[in-house]
Amino acid sequence: MGTKRIGLLAGCIMLLVGCAGSGGHIPVVDAGRAVSNEDLQTGAGRSGQPQIQPQAQQEQGGAVVVMVPDGEGGSSAIESYPLDSSPVSSQPAPGGTATGGNRLQDDEQLSGPVLALLTSARQQENGGDLNSASASLERALRIAPREPQVLYRLAQVRLDQGDAAQAEQLARRGLSYASGRPALQAGLWELVAQARERQGDSAGAATARQRARVAL
Amino acid sequence: MGRKRSKRSARKIGFWRRWSGLMWKLALVGLVALAGLAIYLDAVVQEKFSGKRWAVPAKVFARPLELYAGQQLSRDDFLTELSALGYRSVNAISQPGQMSASASRVDVYTRGFQSFEGSEPAQRISVRFSGPQVSALSGNGDVVMARLEPLMIGGIYPAHNEDRILVRLDQAPPYLVEALVAVEDREYFQHFGVSPKGIARAAYVNIVAGGVVQGGSTLTQQLVKNFYLSSERSLIRKGAEAMMAVLLELHYSKEEILEAYLNEVFLGQDGRRAVHGFGLASQYYFAQPLHELQLHQVALLVGMVKGPSLYNPRRQPERTKKRRDLVIQMLEEQGVISKEQAADAIEQPLDVTVRGSLADSNYPAFMDLIKRQLREDYQDEDLTSEGLRIFTSFDPLLQLKAEKAVASSLKNLGERANDMEAAVVVTGAQTGEVLALVGGRNPRFSGFNRALDASRPIGSLVKPAVYLTALEQPQNYSLISPVDDSPITLDAEPGKTWSPQNYSRQSHGVVPLHEALARSYNQATVRLGVDIGVDRVLQTIDRMGVRHGWPAYPAMLLGSGAMTPLQVTDMYQTLANGGFNTPLRAIRNVLTAEGDQLRRYPFEIEQRFDSATVFLMQEALSRVMTDGTGRSAYNQIPSSVRLAGKTGTTNDLRDSWFAGFSDDVVAVVWLGRDDNGQTRLTGATGALQVWTAFMAQAHPRSLSDAAPEGIVYAWVNRLTGEGSDPSCPDTVQVPFREGYQPLPGPGCRPLIDTAPVREGAGRVMDVIRGWLQ
Repeated sequence: MGTKRIGLLAGCIMLLVGCAGSGGHIPVVDAGRAVSNEDLQTGAGRSGQPQIQPQAQQEQGGAVVVMVPDGEGGSSAIESYPLDSSPVSSQPAPGGTATGGNRLQDDEQLSGPVLALLTSARQQENGGDLNSASASLERALRIAPREPQVLYRLAQVRLDQGDAAQAEQLARRGLSYASGRPALQAGLWELVAQARERQGDSAGAATARQRARVAL
Repeated sequence: MGRKRSKRSARKIGFWRRWSGLMWKLALVGLVALAGLAIYLDAVVQEKFSGKRWAVPAKVFARPLELYAGQQLSRDDFLTELSALGYRSVNAISQPGQMSASASRVDVYTRGFQSFEGSEPAQRISVRFSGPQVSALSGNGDVVMARLEPLMIGGIYPAHNEDRILVRLDQAPPYLVEALVAVEDREYFQHFGVSPKGIARAAYVNIVAGGVVQGGSTLTQQLVKNFYLSSERSLIRKGAEAMMAVLLELHYSKEEILEAYLNEVFLGQDGRRAVHGFGLASQYYFAQPLHELQLHQVALLVGMVKGPSLYNPRRQPERTKKRRDLVIQMLEEQGVISKEQAADAIEQPLDVTVRGSLADSNYPAFMDLIKRQLREDYQDEDLTSEGLRIFTSFDPLLQLKAEKAVASSLKNLGERANDMEAAVVVTGAQTGEVLALVGGRNPRFSGFNRALDASRPIGSLVKPAVYLTALEQPQNYSLISPVDDSPITLDAEPGKTWSPQNYSRQSHGVVPLHEALARSYNQATVRLGVDIGVDRVLQTIDRMGVRHGWPAYPAMLLGSGAMTPLQVTDMYQTLANGGFNTPLRAIRNVLTAEGDQLRRYPFEIEQRFDSATVFLMQEALSRVMTDGTGRSAYNQIPSSVRLAGKTGTTNDLRDSWFAGFSDDVVAVVWLGRDDNGQTRLTGATGALQVWTAFMAQAHPRSLSDAAPEGIVYAWVNRLTGEGSDPSCPDTVQVPFREGYQPLPGPGCRPLIDTAPVREGAGRVMDVIRGWLQ
């Protein structure tokens, strides 16, 4: 009995050892960092700073939320944009000065400059200045070329500018970086669907909508 | 009698009457003519002065340097950029254009600027550095990001043209107007265009000196002379000049005339370009905006008005300093400045920028690219006269590194580098923006632009297209598919056969696909290419972004087709950018002189290949760097930086190529001879050395190994390529297209016998036994 157990256990350990030594890496998020005064002063949202108390993301209407530092070591949402047409319900952000959304997973936290540019792009877009919004987003893209949220926003602006073909391409580029982020994938597929509709490709749009549903 | 008398007197009176009548008539005619001339000159004066006064050539700017925490930028590079922009080093910054550097921190008072991307305020910022990175940015309040104004890298001039940067009078630095008036025209604010007093004084001085040492021309006359009249010297011209000066003063204020003078005056010759106006002269000699100039710099420029070539501070520093100091003394004599100020200013060096430094350099290869792109959208006349501002993606820091890499590598090659030419193209991997361009081994020489125009066989650089075509068929090929590297003979052009050889003249038998690429085996590549079809491979090259029009001969599989370095970049860009092709761009935006956006050049992409397939290709190309022909790059670049690339060598060692990329940068290098002679260099011994020298300095970001959707990793046996288990020896993890990975093999028992693991397991068992008891 003993030897049998030992064999079984050894087998399990072997597997663990094999995995550990494989080079296939498991993402490790250091989430237990102590809060220092400097953090309180500078706020979060800086590049590569793990959040102090990451909360599990609550799925909420498939919204992508842009976070801004609130000066208290945390991030709070200042704006959220729905990925589908349903309105986004808002809830008070805990400890934050602003309300309007939920916290994001670590990987969806944007670094300071990208966030700032996305925010100005949103303002420019609201003011009807699509060219400037596009310029801000391209600037953000140069800083964070692999950030699908930037590509998502740029695709949206292109769609508003009437360039459906580029909107589709940019959304597809975003999808290639959005692995493991289902809400964002769904939003990007939805954009692809809209862009295809504008280009008169209703079959393609239907396929994209299908993908959007699967992603969520 | 009376009659007689009256007859006589009548005759006499008649004579006089006739004469005076003639005189009157003549005077009248003269007056009318003069009035006509005056009216004509007045029209001339007003017409030219009220409209667009100058044809201003388009100005071309580099990218503005972005600053934010996490930015890849070393302190030294930052200081290089700041000094190119003419920021002055001080102990404590107090106004725009100043900086203060310590070991790991640089304080800057930025100048602020307007661009199509919104306005950037002038602000004090502190930039902290940690290695080649900005670690923190701070300033008044929360500074998330900041930008430096873009460096001006050139203009677009017709041959023999005037260039200028227009300034307003209120942008003139302190003492400029005072010095100009003191030196050139003391009565400027009193006279009416011409100055009799000035002429008298000049005449007296000239008689005393026994020659022409002082001119009596007022500033207004000087302006008229340069602005309206040709350079011929005649009395009539002098008269017209005086008349026009008076007319000009009649219509316009002293301030308006002075402002025009500041912009018109000739202050130097830069090759075929004439430097006009204090605005451009300030940039040309000091790399600073005019309003920041200090007394000694102002005095230098004012002193040069008398003779810009005589008092050229770069060619005649001693003579120019004497002249400058004289101007300073004149200001002191007239009580404009104090004795201390004068003494301080005289103590100062000339302060002019060094030619060839970043502040004062030309980039003919990049400018050539810009001009070609602009000519597709604009008339030459618009480019040379409308004062357009052209914002580009040019990165002067990367350009400097690329130029240095070429120079140092060619030097290391020694005699072999004689008569050798070079070209380098650097682009943003994800954006497709051209960041740097070297068109020849002398980067200052504007001749044959090899980066754009040297179309040469690309050799093995073509191979990724062959392997990419194969990997697009996941049912047939994966990274570990066996390919046969053995001799092969094909029918090439009609009546000829072709038997490709490997570089080593040896065949390697059956090898995994990735190894055939990494070691650049010719026979394996030709066999693979023939199996999937030469025409399909050529289509792949087309889809990668290069329209080549090559015939579908098998020799194309080994790169006998020619491309320019820019075309090669386009091709590799698609691989670097996950299968999305981006038309290479160098222009971001064009603004009119008034700051209105004339045309945008937006970021555009088009998916040409599946991202998962391209990920496999990147993996294969990264093995070129770790195990293949690109290995030597890691002699200089840390092995933690994942890179991808490919060497290219052509027949008889004529062309040496290397194309490769990191996560952020694509760089393509070509070395060869203009006469297509032998270089005796392979891609690895030549171009790769330049590429490595560049990349080592460019601090590239490691290529991401985050797999896109549609990629799975599986354990395979390194030798057989069969599915395996991590517990087995010689097992490696390999990415596959999802659904095409091999089934996992059985675990391997023998490994259990390794002693340390057995001991560990024994200890664990002891613990568990402890629990059970």
